[in-house]
Amino acid sequence: MIDTEVLATAQRLGSRALSWLHAAHRDGLGRIPDNTLIDFADADNAYKPLGEVALAASLVLRDGVSGPADTRAARELLDGCWAQLREGDLLYERQLHHFTMTDPLETYGHFARAGYRHPALEELLDSLGRLRAAHAEEIRPNRRLGVANARRVVGLDHRPDWEALARGTWLGARPEPWAVNWMTGYDITHTVFHLTDWGARPEGLPGPMRDYVRDWLPVWLDVWAEVGQWDLVAELLVVDACFGEPTTGRQGWDALAAVQHEDGLLPRDGDPVDGDRERAFLDHQHTAVVAVVAGDVTLARALRATADA
Amino acid sequence: MPFAETPLRDEYAAAVERVARLTLDALRDGSPAAALAEQPAATAPRPLLAAVRVLGADLFAPRLLAGAGPDGPTAALLAEARRVLPAPLAPSEEAARVLGWQDWAVGHLLARTPYGGAVPPPAALPGPEEVGWRAWSVRMAQLSGLALPGLDGPVHEGARRHVLGLARGTVRSLLRHDLTTAARLARWLAWTEAEGLPPRLELGPVLDRIRLAGDGSARTGLDLAVAGRLAAGSAGSGAAGGAEGSGGSADGGRAA
Repeated sequence: MIDTEVLATAQRLGSRALSWLHAAHRDGLGRIPDNTLIDFADADNAYKPLGEVALAASLVLRDGVSGPADTRAARELLDGCWAQLREGDLLYERQLHHFTMTDPLETYGHFARAGYRHPALEELLDSLGRLRAAHAEEIRPNRRLGVANARRVVGLDHRPDWEALARGTWLGARPEPWAVNWMTGYDITHTVFHLTDWGARPEGLPGPMRDYVRDWLPVWLDVWAEVGQWDLVAELLVVDACFGEPTTGRQGWDALAAVQHEDGLLPRDGDPVDGDRERAFLDHQHTAVVAVVAGDVTLARALRATADA
Repeated sequence: MPFAETPLRDEYAAAVERVARLTLDALRDGSPAAALAEQPAATAPRPLLAAVRVLGADLFAPRLLAGAGPDGPTAALLAEARRVLPAPLAPSEEAARVLGWQDWAVGHLLARTPYGGAVPPPAALPGPEEVGWRAWSVRMAQLSGLALPGLDGPVHEGARRHVLGLARGTVRSLLRHDLTTAARLARWLAWTEAEGLPPRLELGPVLDRIRLAGDGSARTGLDLAVAGRLAAGSAGSGAAGGAEGSGGSADGGRAA
């Protein structure tokens, strides 16, 4: 049964988070420094946030369940981020020089999903994919799934053993559900995101893992909502919409809606929000991205369910 | 005499812990019943009576888990405690129902002795369909004393039908470091296993975790020991200690 109140809350929350992101980027808050070098060491602080914004915007365009204003905002965000990456040249140069790194591919996947293409980068990625070295990099198992999903989205030739990759994750081991902590909570959410391609392939989550998440997701959502870990709460709500009928009901959505600011900012946790706009943007942009994704995949799933009914 | 200076609440809490320890020892030793009072029930000190009233049906745990019925001396003491001490005030309608069911359990067991008569069941508690698995599991934790062989009723039927809700409540309590509640819910989980229902949560590691990280109190120890005995009984053929109504009736553990 689809709870229309949940859908209304999800739509409003995601839409407001999207316009907060859009306004911030319009005012230049999301810009990477113009002098960013291709071999900057710390991708996380440089263009990782751009890739995350691109992810949220690409899903809005992919799922097509948003109104015209949100669709336009998503397109403008993608245009802006793509321009900052110099139409992909930045990713290409980084991938060329640091050819076993995975973040250029992971970032590119979000743009490729929305039709932003860089043929030279794709040729490079295709070639790198044939190296044993490209698959030998010792990265966290759920991130390995992210790389595999990026290759799939980009359309690169690859045949990963999805089941083996899934089994290698925390979620794949289906550990005692009370052993989870904040970090492994994110491991779980990301495993579901990549296996289901953010809700587009609900069947991508193996049955035993699906049953396990169904059993315990309501508990995890409850305990992290209680301590105000809103970023993780929003990620868990994404999970809830990535496969089958959601199990957690209104509680999480109502909690998030209650803490969202008038301008659309969604605090990442219960700490006070910094009064400085730039600081607040840096602190809470990830949560905005997750809120956009949560709203989008929840609406998309509900529409698919209605269409299938 | 430190008696006058000790706040009443501390004194009663200490009595509860002492009586729980005696009961736990009896359960572990395989004694027929804990020797709670040296003198007759009529002259038992008030803290002892208060403790007995608080622990209620749990006082019979060693006997019930061994397949025996309630013993006379403990029953006499319980009956005296119920006569002397008024029922505690319930802060809410729900709390009153919880107290009502705790009382029902005691009355039901006393009715098997010369110290009591038939007791009508109190009003049913709302299930997880109405209040959600979280609130329901908290209430079930308060009623963990009912998770004993020889007791059965609507509360037990709720446990049989909502094993997942009990498991979720247990996991939530563990994640919130509320190991007292976790132990009480784990006891219900053990009870459902003794009823032959398929487990939704691996019990052994849960009991271990609470034992190692818990407060070490005798009351929690008693919950763990009862859970352990129930689970051990379920590993063999059927429920431990002649539980009534074993075999379960529902499809087990629907989502809350």
